[in-house]
Amino acid sequence: MLLIPCPHCGPRDETEFHYGGQAHVPYPGNPNELDDRQWAEFLFYRENPKGAFAERWLHSTGCRQWFNMVRDTATYDIQAVYRMGEPRPTTTPPGGGSRATGGPTGPSAAHAGTPASPEGARP
Amino acid sequence: MSADKLPEHPDFLWRNPEPKSSYDAVIVGGGGHGLATAYYLAQNHGMTNIAVLEKGWLAGGNMARNTTIIRSNYLWDESAAIYEASLKLWEILPEELDYDFLFSQRGVMNLAHTLGDVRESIRRVGANRLNGVDAEWLEPAQVKELCPILNISDNIRYPVLGATYQPRAGIAKHDHVAWAFARKCDQLGVDIIQNCEVTGFLKDGNRVVGVKTNQGTIHTEKVGLCAAGHSSVLAEMAGFRLPIQSHPLQALVSELHEPVHPTVVMSNHVHVYVSQAHKGELVMGAGVDSYNGYGQRGSFHVIEHQMAAAVELFPIFARAHVLRTWGGIVDTTLDASPIVSTTPVDNMFVNCGWGTGGFKGTPGAGLTFAHTIATGTPHALNRPFALERFETGALIDEHGAAAVAH
Amino acid sequence: MADTQQLDTPQDIPRDLHGLRRSPASLLHEVFAAGSTGGVVELSELEFLTMAGIRVDPQSETATRIASVTDGLPAHCGDVTGGGTNGKPDTAVLWLGPTEFLVVAPPDAHETLGGTLVPALVEALADGQGQVVDLSANRTTFELTGPRARAVLEKGCSLDLHPRVHPAGTALSTEVGGIPVILWKTAEDTYRILPRASFATFLGSWLLDAMREYASPEVP
Repeated sequence: MLLIPCPHCGPRDETEFHYGGQAHVPYPGNPNELDDRQWAEFLFYRENPKGAFAERWLHSTGCRQWFNMVRDTATYDIQAVYRMGEPRPTTTPPGGGSRATGGPTGPSAAHAGTPASPEGARP
Repeated sequence: MSADKLPEHPDFLWRNPEPKSSYDAVIVGGGGHGLATAYYLAQNHGMTNIAVLEKGWLAGGNMARNTTIIRSNYLWDESAAIYEASLKLWEILPEELDYDFLFSQRGVMNLAHTLGDVRESIRRVGANRLNGVDAEWLEPAQVKELCPILNISDNIRYPVLGATYQPRAGIAKHDHVAWAFARKCDQLGVDIIQNCEVTGFLKDGNRVVGVKTNQGTIHTEKVGLCAAGHSSVLAEMAGFRLPIQSHPLQALVSELHEPVHPTVVMSNHVHVYVSQAHKGELVMGAGVDSYNGYGQRGSFHVIEHQMAAAVELFPIFARAHVLRTWGGIVDTTLDASPIVSTTPVDNMFVNCGWGTGGFKGTPGAGLTFAHTIATGTPHALNRPFALERFETGALIDEHGAAAVAH
Repeated sequence: MADTQQLDTPQDIPRDLHGLRRSPASLLHEVFAAGSTGGVVELSELEFLTMAGIRVDPQSETATRIASVTDGLPAHCGDVTGGGTNGKPDTAVLWLGPTEFLVVAPPDAHETLGGTLVPALVEALADGQGQVVDLSANRTTFELTGPRARAVLEKGCSLDLHPRVHPAGTALSTEVGGIPVILWKTAEDTYRILPRASFATFLGSWLLDAMREYASPEVP
């Protein structure tokens, strides 16, 4: 069970979330200009790295907001959480020293507005 | 049906050779598919100067982690053809490999729980029969007759409204299958090299000419990738992409019980599939975890959900205990059909995308992939399963027959 | 289609509609009472609370107008503004998301009982960006109260419900017994649990089952 740090609600069980696959896949600016290969790439080809992967998640049972997350697909370590539309932050591979933006478990204070307590409730 | 019927084993079924400096072909991945491919390359195409490279131990990946269900009742012509060919090979392989791996044609039921399920199932029975696949539609009473421990009452959340049934389907003992192929490969001169991880490929222009491994560089004319969940990683090393997503898929067994479950029951709708292995343990599989993962482990709630469904369908299981759970890494495609194909790299071939159902396809994949590697062109059975289908749009959408349960 | 054209005329509709209403968990009221133990843990359904869903950018002028009706909008996850805490049955606003809020008010705030809540919110929304939707029939409300209430919830909720991190006056969208709910702690030892109507009987039965052990005297 993943414990996923929602940028709005704080860490919650994976069962409250819906997976959205690879992040940062823009809809083609003009689909009519794509050839078959490019259209296939857009429809069917997604990154599938063993290691850090930027992916989309929806906190469907909580705040119902989409957000992005960088997660290691081999260790399941969550390296960064950031909002939709923001560029992927640089993250450091395991053993590479300092942690990624957003921290391993808590939502980024800059993103969440106010630091959330463990479950997002403020005392 | 009991442990004392298991075959005797010699101490060694295959050699553990050092890799040679070159081979006519190298198969990456020493699971069922890799071993079957090597076997058919040697047996059908006379290619015996070949090696199977396995980064861990032989058949320790998905081949050791599946629920051993074998069936061929797929909807579309292309799938029915390759899976039925595979099933026919299963029927002759124990004799051909001279190894009784306990292939037991005890039948497989796919339950229908909704009106939509019923319509889809009856359609599939019709499609199966047109393709020469044995298939029947069973009413709930017939379901109960075949599998008395199933709860067919209508006061459960998803009542059993009927089932498709394939009598020739069944299960086999998965590691014995791998050993059977490995022994025969070895006898034919194939080098099976364990603890040999591929770290890169040697290319001459767009042609693959060798494999870099942790045991040194191996030159080869041809490379066949049979790495299931790790196919994308290998493809990236080779410089091309695959439309594959790797997900955790979990399964579990109970402790040993007296025979209570005579067939195989699958339910896509409630995400559970159950059989009773020869030794007596109940073997159950769940649905894939939603996220991409190479961790060979999934989330507990998936198991919990599966157990809830299993106990409702089989009230008798409420008294069983979970002995072990585990996960494998399944390579899924968006049309739930495999890829057995040439690749953008010359002389490199790929067999992947079998998703949650690779075990049953083991001989079929091996036969057709060996043909593809040996001749450079696909076998008639795997031609529709080429990478190009994602560009042409000729997808083989088997979500109905394949999506979750195998 | 003929039968659907035979609509009832207004005279045919009984005047006392409220006498005919059935709440989503009404079939469980007797077992709720039987399964409750005074001073330990008690479960009941608060029927027909008025609820309105609001979607609005909290930084906008529209939000300011709406906030003047609701006596403020909560700013963060878990926040509740207005009454509804400590037993005060006033209008409260629960944070559901950064631009989504749920107004919960007593039954008679609904216009069918002469209330003005939803029309007032609609009026405040005016032509601003956002929406106000009457969601009174969407969810029902359970009230779980007593010293064992937290222990009951902890059997099916993975949040940390310790008062240190989950004080009274907190409302969170989460899961209880696998069911998506809003869990609203209105006072120490008192929780409102808001499942969607179709989950009410399941969750009610689940809660009863979770309460059962506390009906017996504690074994020392």
